[in-house]
Amino acid sequence: MESNSAYDLGAPRSGGEYRDTLELLAEMARDFSTSLDIHQTLGKALVRITHYLGAEAASLFLLENDDTELVCITCEGPVDIGGLRIASDHGIVGRSVQDNLCQIIRDVSQDPDFKSQVDEKTGFTTRSILCAPMSVKDSPFGAIEVINKKGGDGLFDENDRHILQALACSAALALLNARMALELVEKERLRHELDLAAEIQRGLLPQRQPAPYPVAGINLPARGVSGDLYDFFTLEDGRIFFCLGDVSGKGMNASLLMAKTSSLYRCLGRTNPEPGALLAVINNEIFETATHGMFVTMVGGLYDRESGKLIMANAGHEPPLYIDADGNVTSYEAEEPPLGIMPGTEFPEVEINLKGGELYIFTDGVTESPIDGGKMLGATGFTEMIKELKNLSLADRLDMIVDRVAGDRKKLHDDITILGIEHRAPAE
Amino acid sequence: MEHEIREQGDVLIAVLSGDIDLEQAPTARKVLLECVGQGKSVLVDLSGVGYIDSSGVASLVEAYQAARKTKSGFALVSVSVGAMRVLELARLNKVFTIHDTIEAGLEAS
Repeated sequence: MESNSAYDLGAPRSGGEYRDTLELLAEMARDFSTSLDIHQTLGKALVRITHYLGAEAASLFLLENDDTELVCITCEGPVDIGGLRIASDHGIVGRSVQDNLCQIIRDVSQDPDFKSQVDEKTGFTTRSILCAPMSVKDSPFGAIEVINKKGGDGLFDENDRHILQALACSAALALLNARMALELVEKERLRHELDLAAEIQRGLLPQRQPAPYPVAGINLPARGVSGDLYDFFTLEDGRIFFCLGDVSGKGMNASLLMAKTSSLYRCLGRTNPEPGALLAVINNEIFETATHGMFVTMVGGLYDRESGKLIMANAGHEPPLYIDADGNVTSYEAEEPPLGIMPGTEFPEVEINLKGGELYIFTDGVTESPIDGGKMLGATGFTEMIKELKNLSLADRLDMIVDRVAGDRKKLHDDITILGIEHRAPAE
Repeated sequence: MEHEIREQGDVLIAVLSGDIDLEQAPTARKVLLECVGQGKSVLVDLSGVGYIDSSGVASLVEAYQAARKTKSGFALVSVSVGAMRVLELARLNKVFTIHDTIEAGLEAS
């Protein structure tokens, strides 16, 4: 019979042309290691196997569709069944894969699992079958089936079974390697996209202003992208509008909501610099569009650096801490829930005068960070740290705090974000 | 996180216990949305919850919002001290209906 092979290996060779199975294995291994197209290489391997075992035809099936189907990805012989899909427990090949066992069927007409539909459709006559599962670590993901031994008694023997098992193992390993290589490429692509997203997100944060600018912030994402946000900008009248927020959850979905909230705050805040009213507008907007119950805890405020007067509104966020000039600490708990949960919520403002003191707004990534052998830093530990570093500039103090809190950054479990606002009493 | 669903008359009681964090929140979400989807009043027993983070709270919020849409009852009962601290700090006690005990929740349902 004529072969329909797409892979030209020269004239059909008898098994005798290969010195031994090792040589065939070596040739296959060489093909697998030098080709980037695994399906093409499997096709070539199947041709070699068919010729070596002296079979009339062969096919290679792989599991697809959550292992519910076996698909013929390449075949060799007089009829082309490439692309044929069968249920994963169908026929001899299905049994081989399900049981993860090699099958020798000397007379298919006597096997209840043999399905004759393909023969009926193609005109081919199947008499005997040798089928070996392709599996790694007891997990089959396909099978190689060879059909009708040419010459002799027309039956496959134990020697053929051992050889096909070895060849199927070799092909399985090559396929696994190729799949892992593809996964690595895909992971690299995703990592690159994540890096780009993180870079764009960093661009949403305000730049550090040179001293003596009284507001500074810092954000250290636990992953590439962050669900935390902070922002500040100077209005035309010199007052500074600021915010800090924390989106529920982590990862890309949290970072997208972070980007939206941050943009709304900056854009609307320029024309409507009233913290409570602005939080109410953003609350309604997020409520209408957020999914999966996502919400944003946020503190928004307005600061007059000359007088030290600061007003702020808190939507379900960690209490900001005010440390006065004498080191006394006051905490400002939220009066209303986070943004995105209850439409129509009004967010009352509180007014304080910093009077030579400082206000710190931060995310729970700071206070819940484990320090000194696992104990959480807590608000008390955080204020102690601030007081200890009081001789540093505001920006340097924030950097030092994050360095201490983050420790080994690889183990960071949550984003860390702090916004500091200070008031320098005018020199007398 | 462990979960158990009990049915008492027309009320479903979803008992969540353990930690509801980023890893466990999708399970909590699925369990709660399935309960709410049955159209009955739902009580979420949080007595055995040790730690709940913002993604866990989001699963409660989503179920609460789904229940509001269908005008079904949704309340938290027997909230553990740790979970209550998280809810109170974020003023979510203004959002959720919270009962001290299952009996009180059943009575109000």
